[in-house]
Amino acid sequence: MSATPDDTKDNAEEHAFRLRAREWLRTHLPPRRLQDEPMMDWADKALIARDRESQRALWEGGLAGITLPREYGGLGLDRRYADIYYEEAQPYRLPWHFGNAFNIVLPTLLAHGSEELKRRYVPAILRGEHLWCQLLSEPSGGSDLAGLTTRAELRGDHWLLNGSKVWTTGGLDCDMGICLARTDPTVPKHAGLTMFLVDMTSPGLAINPIKLISGTVDFCQEFFDDVAVPADHVLGEVGGGWAVASTQLGAEKASMARGWYEGLAAAVESDEIELKDEYGRMARSLGVHEDPRARQLIGEAFVLDAVHTLTTRRVSAGIRNGALPPTAGTLSSLLVALCDVRRSALLSGISGPAGVAAKPGEEGLQWGMTRVTRHRIGGGTTEMQRNGVAERHLGLPRDEADIADRTVPFNRRKVNPDRAQ
Amino acid sequence: MLQDATRRYLEARAPVTYLRQLVEAQTPMPDIAWREGAGQGWLAPFVPESLGGMAESAQGAIDAAIVAEEMGRVVYPGHYLPNSVLAFAIAQWGSQAQRETLLPALAAGEQRGAWCFAAPGVDSGTAPDGVRLERSGGQITLRGVAANVQSAPDADLLLVTATDGEGVTQLLLPAATAGIEVRALDTLDLGRRLADVEFRDVSVTADAVLGAHGAAADCFEQQLQLALVLHCAETVGVIDRALEFTLDYVQQRYAFGRPIGSFQALKHRLADHAAQHEGGKALVARAAKAVQEQAADAAVAVSIAKSHCGRWATEIIRDCLHMHGGIGMTWEHDIQFYLRRAVSNEALWGSPAVHHERLCRLAGL
Repeated sequence: MSATPDDTKDNAEEHAFRLRAREWLRTHLPPRRLQDEPMMDWADKALIARDRESQRALWEGGLAGITLPREYGGLGLDRRYADIYYEEAQPYRLPWHFGNAFNIVLPTLLAHGSEELKRRYVPAILRGEHLWCQLLSEPSGGSDLAGLTTRAELRGDHWLLNGSKVWTTGGLDCDMGICLARTDPTVPKHAGLTMFLVDMTSPGLAINPIKLISGTVDFCQEFFDDVAVPADHVLGEVGGGWAVASTQLGAEKASMARGWYEGLAAAVESDEIELKDEYGRMARSLGVHEDPRARQLIGEAFVLDAVHTLTTRRVSAGIRNGALPPTAGTLSSLLVALCDVRRSALLSGISGPAGVAAKPGEEGLQWGMTRVTRHRIGGGTTEMQRNGVAERHLGLPRDEADIADRTVPFNRRKVNPDRAQ
Repeated sequence: MLQDATRRYLEARAPVTYLRQLVEAQTPMPDIAWREGAGQGWLAPFVPESLGGMAESAQGAIDAAIVAEEMGRVVYPGHYLPNSVLAFAIAQWGSQAQRETLLPALAAGEQRGAWCFAAPGVDSGTAPDGVRLERSGGQITLRGVAANVQSAPDADLLLVTATDGEGVTQLLLPAATAGIEVRALDTLDLGRRLADVEFRDVSVTADAVLGAHGAAADCFEQQLQLALVLHCAETVGVIDRALEFTLDYVQQRYAFGRPIGSFQALKHRLADHAAQHEGGKALVARAAKAVQEQAADAAVAVSIAKSHCGRWATEIIRDCLHMHGGIGMTWEHDIQFYLRRAVSNEALWGSPAVHHERLCRLAGL
């Protein structure tokens, strides 16, 4: 996987940290099962349990929250130590089911949380006690996030939440959720939202898994029936939920750009292009490797892979060093989605009839219909990404209907007349 | 800095209106204009300091790609690509005499070169399959046709890559050598002159050989890689400028009481174009670096860039024309020059299909 970490730039303290991390990781963390080990698999309960144990062990071993402030349980070290840790952690399975908690919830909590919430929930993540999910999308709509209808009403010392959330990654297994709900329907849609921290074991909260076309059950739908949330479990201001959600979505995008969880991203240092064996193996196993039509598609697949990797890398480097504006991130997310869509078509094209009808036990069907949901819809539809590129990066004007929808009080916006109450 | 200086020069001395003047007057770019451009030091990254260049301090392919991209933005009608390849090849593999006589003249734009290698046909552009060579004693005879040779109608000097049973050999000879016929072609790209160059029993002596006889396969590949980097960088510049003025246009043009750029039907297409264009920039940056460093992925990187840039330039600029509506279809609008170059660049130096096949072979498939 990765070469021996480069420790020549370490100073004495860094080097001591490196050696301690190296030895600790070797004796405490499980090796990666596969080179391309899935970071998260919410159907694999044993893996989830093992990740909880690993995170707990990291805490006990003094390797959790390397760059986080000491008052919240972190080590308070600078970025360089985290890099050293991730370099040394390359051969091991890191507790990736905590990815949402670390990548998305933690930065959001630190940016918007009250002192009390930070002191309570940040260390709980570091100790491996809380897996977190995001309760954002709703059955009534995912793209128009600010148009959500789950409502929260203040009743004395607690809020009561009613409504439904959907597309929650790992909802059944998470301990806590960060939940956006409407607290004031009389103001324009973005202004009436508030972010809550919700205990996923609360009474009145029903969680149902959703089985996808692929057969996987990573997502859930939740139903809130008078779910009580303590009044102090508001993240940011009441009515200030959109700002919190923006931090949260920004953190999600940023983590996706750096390879979701840093332990994986660090593996790709070189910018050299490698042609994957995968397509050749596939073509040979299907017997189409000499077919000129298949070779055209394979050639294009090589191009797509390189576009995907190099653009993501160049854009994030460009944003970091100021050569590109932060909005350029929208370009690489859209491009990744476009590449993914095209790659699915190429794979089914290369496999041809073998992708739709295979002899029992033989390869083929896995290529006929790949990743149908992944990038066109998940993590923001390509349409939303296109709006992002056009409006935020290219500076094109917003659509008039969109402007109207953003400025009218939520309870007076246009709705489907057949559904109006 | 190099980018700014090049842009300033080209916008002042060779904006797209200059190309239009040449086209209207039905005249090729005059020699003096190329000499002035070359005088900017465009070929210096390939020429050693001892001969007036700056190869030692410059980053050959990387710097040249920056210049080429700027040329794309104005659809420059000059002879940058072939002369860069010749300067590079002579500096790398030339004898002392070849270097001393030819490099300063090329760098000053006093001599102009063209590179002959590819046979005609749909697969043309990436292999030295156009010219055969026969050696007997000290005499060498060339036969065959090199197709679509860029700038050949304007060239004084030809670099010929030919093959025989011993392998690949390169030669440098005056375009006026007996037996060479340069047949200019009608070109879709109005800013570029191409020709088929026929070699009819062209007889030369061994001192015309560049490098060693039969040992130039790798030299050919390196030249091809450099040419592809420059070609793709130019294509990126073409897209860059076309997208720029199309974005301006859709914000200024109103229909149904609002700028047409506020309609999602256009916005979404422009977003896709911007994303693919960013992809092209990333690929060209990698290709230039890989070629300059002679990295292991250089051959792969240039083919990937060529496939992507070729395909998307055409797609994007065709759609930019569409977004201009009626005015985009008229002779008076400059977008035609951009589209013409984009379509030409997709087809020449190996179409995307040719490079897809090349990638399969490079992958051992």
